[in-house]
Amino acid sequence: MHELLLYGQVPAARHDQVLRILSGLAAMQPRRILQRCILYKPQREPEEPGLNIRRGGTQNVAVKQAKQTAAPSLYYTKLIQKLSDNDFGKENGLPKSTTQPLSANVADGEEPKWSMRWEDIPDTGDRGVSIRFTNTTDLVTGNPHEQMIAAGPNRFVTEYFVEGHRFVLGNVIIFLHRILHEPGVRSVEETPKSILPSFANLQLLDLSGAYVLEAKVRVQDFKEASILESGVNELKDFQKQMRGCVELALPDRLSLDTRVKYRPPHAAAASAQNRPR
Amino acid sequence: MSGAELPKDVALRPWPAIKTEKLASEDLQLQIEQLTNERGHLRNITEKSLQEDIAAGKDLPDDAGGIVEKKELGDNDLSKERDKKIQDVFRAQHEMANHVEWMKFSAHNLVDVISMCLSIDPNRRALSSFSHTFRTDGLQQGIPFGSFGMSKENREQYVPHQDEWTANKEYQQRQEIVAKGARMAALDTATDDILKAAKKLEREVRKETKYWQEIVSISDKGWPLQRWRQNSRNVTDILIASNRFKARGLAPLRMDKNGSIMLDPALALKPKTLRVRISENGQITGTSRLPVQGDTKDVAIEKTIQLARESLFEEELYHEMSLETRHLLPYGVEYRDSIIRVDASGTSGQQRRRKLLIDCIPREEQHIDNRVQSNDWLARNVAEGLRLLLAHEHSMRLHRRSQLPPPLSSQKREQPPPPLLRPLLAILRHLEDVDSLHGYLETVVRTLSSAGVDVELQTTREIAWAKLAESHKSPSTRGLSATDQLLEIFLKPFEGSATLKFPCPTAGKVEELTLSTRTVIGQPTFGTEHKLTLPSSLTVDLGLFQQVKFNSVDELTSYLDWTLALHIVHRYLKEEFSSRAVIKGNEPIITIGSKIGKKGPGNGRDITVELADGALKVIAATADLQDAVAEAHQLHTWTGKESSITLKEQVKSWVG
Repeated sequence: MHELLLYGQVPAARHDQVLRILSGLAAMQPRRILQRCILYKPQREPEEPGLNIRRGGTQNVAVKQAKQTAAPSLYYTKLIQKLSDNDFGKENGLPKSTTQPLSANVADGEEPKWSMRWEDIPDTGDRGVSIRFTNTTDLVTGNPHEQMIAAGPNRFVTEYFVEGHRFVLGNVIIFLHRILHEPGVRSVEETPKSILPSFANLQLLDLSGAYVLEAKVRVQDFKEASILESGVNELKDFQKQMRGCVELALPDRLSLDTRVKYRPPHAAAASAQNRPR
Repeated sequence: MSGAELPKDVALRPWPAIKTEKLASEDLQLQIEQLTNERGHLRNITEKSLQEDIAAGKDLPDDAGGIVEKKELGDNDLSKERDKKIQDVFRAQHEMANHVEWMKFSAHNLVDVISMCLSIDPNRRALSSFSHTFRTDGLQQGIPFGSFGMSKENREQYVPHQDEWTANKEYQQRQEIVAKGARMAALDTATDDILKAAKKLEREVRKETKYWQEIVSISDKGWPLQRWRQNSRNVTDILIASNRFKARGLAPLRMDKNGSIMLDPALALKPKTLRVRISENGQITGTSRLPVQGDTKDVAIEKTIQLARESLFEEELYHEMSLETRHLLPYGVEYRDSIIRVDASGTSGQQRRRKLLIDCIPREEQHIDNRVQSNDWLARNVAEGLRLLLAHEHSMRLHRRSQLPPPLSSQKREQPPPPLLRPLLAILRHLEDVDSLHGYLETVVRTLSSAGVDVELQTTREIAWAKLAESHKSPSTRGLSATDQLLEIFLKPFEGSATLKFPCPTAGKVEELTLSTRTVIGQPTFGTEHKLTLPSSLTVDLGLFQQVKFNSVDELTSYLDWTLALHIVHRYLKEEFSSRAVIKGNEPIITIGSKIGKKGPGNGRDITVELADGALKVIAATADLQDAVAEAHQLHTWTGKESSITLKEQVKSWVG
């Protein structure tokens, strides 16, 4: 599924105003959204990135070089957990249960709480909106963290919380949010917390309290030009409508890069060179 | 004379010429001419006169002598003197040229002025009469002829005549009066304008005040108002209608001449209302009415908005239903003559033909007949129910809109028409079927208990309604309001259930016979479906299917009659007369041998149990087929009334 995106910034002081404007525009009440995102980094080595120099001799005389395929790169992946206010720990209170492992189990008929999300680096095309390929898989059973560790293999990097309000205007999903994290020892942490800290203990990532306004249109049939066009137009119409209130702009492509910077370990590289071919 | 002297003493003199011995004729002429200039006519120049002149000292200017003197001066002085003189001469020449130039300029100006004055007369216009400079720089640059006026009069010393003086005076006075008048008129109009402006302002202010007062009162009543785009027009958003009615959901609130609000003509249509009538065998037995609204205190505009909104709501309701009728033809819903006819006779009902007639009529007409009819309650409830369903649909539209939209794809999703008639139909059918079924079951149970057979009956008309309180204790996770959750029940399949419990005397366990009735207008059952679940013991014994489905109550009851008769025979009587009873086949017939001569087939009696129309019938006949003379049948019937004898006792009395 492809996503068309535009981003804008809302200072904390204007948040209420923008919220009201948006709810008037979309003719609906804002819907509060709380999420926890857990970031994972793949641990396996990519297949020799950027290899285009031939090593060693070859007996091929003048074989036309096969089309250079970009080395498959590795991407960060995310786990997203939908939260409600009750899921957070009580302030200054004891944790609700001692060691309850993370579980994605949901009863029949309920919406899944956990999902795994992968995002590509945005397209290079210039359509006035950012376009990227994403994949979201809902998890309905098991321990999501263990699944992520096993698949990959991945390494837990960090976790953060997203708090905000969502609107829907036609096909445009408007998400006015900001990012929170737990201050302190996040970098030391090895696994995501199974018991959440209280909401009041979370700290804003951007201390100014500014909000991010994300406008998104999801497109299933990316190859159909007319569909894509209609999606782009709808998003641009929204951008035009919001002009003067919030300036929605194309995000920097590289700032949305989700690829893992691969740095080959020196020792391994040296041994690889010595290895007879 | 010295060079420093003023040039006025300088006389023009020819350059000293080379003296020749003999004068040429032309030289002589020049000489004479010079002489004439200096001394007058030749005739007057005599020796005597010359002598006199000399005597009078009126000599030639003394340069002749000066020259001589200077000749006497030193040779070196001579050349210096000469240079100085030449310089003087040049300066003088230059000065003179200057003056001449000035003179020429003035003369030209004069000529130009005169020519200009003269050029008033078209006959005297000639370019040549102007100076060259004026021609090129003036006339050709666009100065027109005759543009220089000139008056010959000189009024300085002019003393006018008496008449003229008075005339002048009068003229002046008139002028003054006219000026005064003009000023007055101007002031007058100015005042008028200001007054008019003031009046207009006042009127506008009053209009605006009234307009905004009404707006405020409308807004206080809770109508949503919005500013529409660039036009500073206020608009009342009436309701979240479907696309077809959305345009009418907005009404511009324009000001009329008096400042009160004028509704859009589209809204000022005749208000309409939905009418539901019940017709039984062609006779109208019930009509829905809107309650009479008492409060007329409202401002007219609010009343109008209210009416327009209600009318719009009812029209939308009617429109949606008429669209829905297209899918409901097989269910006996017709759309003819702008009336939706819903067949409500029921599948297994009495022989009455009941129909619901739904139409949309102008609001005024509904009060025409005020007779109270027997089925008014039904009609009113149906109308209110339909309205509730549409209101629910409206809030569901908002709910659906707030959900995450599906990703854009080439497959178009089409919106099904909102369920309005379908729940109505379903509820009518469901209640009818369930009620008749349960009525039947109750009769059966009464009959059986009067015959001494213990049966317990539990019935629920609709499971979701019964569990309503429990299911609404916890708030919805989907963010639906309680009202919507409540109404959502009516859009789901209706499910009724009935359980018959037979206590098993020997085994001490209870056998359950479950009947569930499910009504869906649409897939998968297209109506009412009854599902009968038999206890496992019966299915094992008799080889029946554990689950049987029926489409009508009649089929179900007849099957149930048979099954119950079988049960009585196979379980109830068999257990009672366990050793003596013999069952043949899958019929509710039991052969019970008499106590004496157990194995003798001749003494056995056939007991047939029949259950029909709520009556339990037991027939005893001799099983002896060889005996040609058929013994008179013994028969007993239980119909649910208090009976003195139970089934077991009766059978025992026959069998002995």
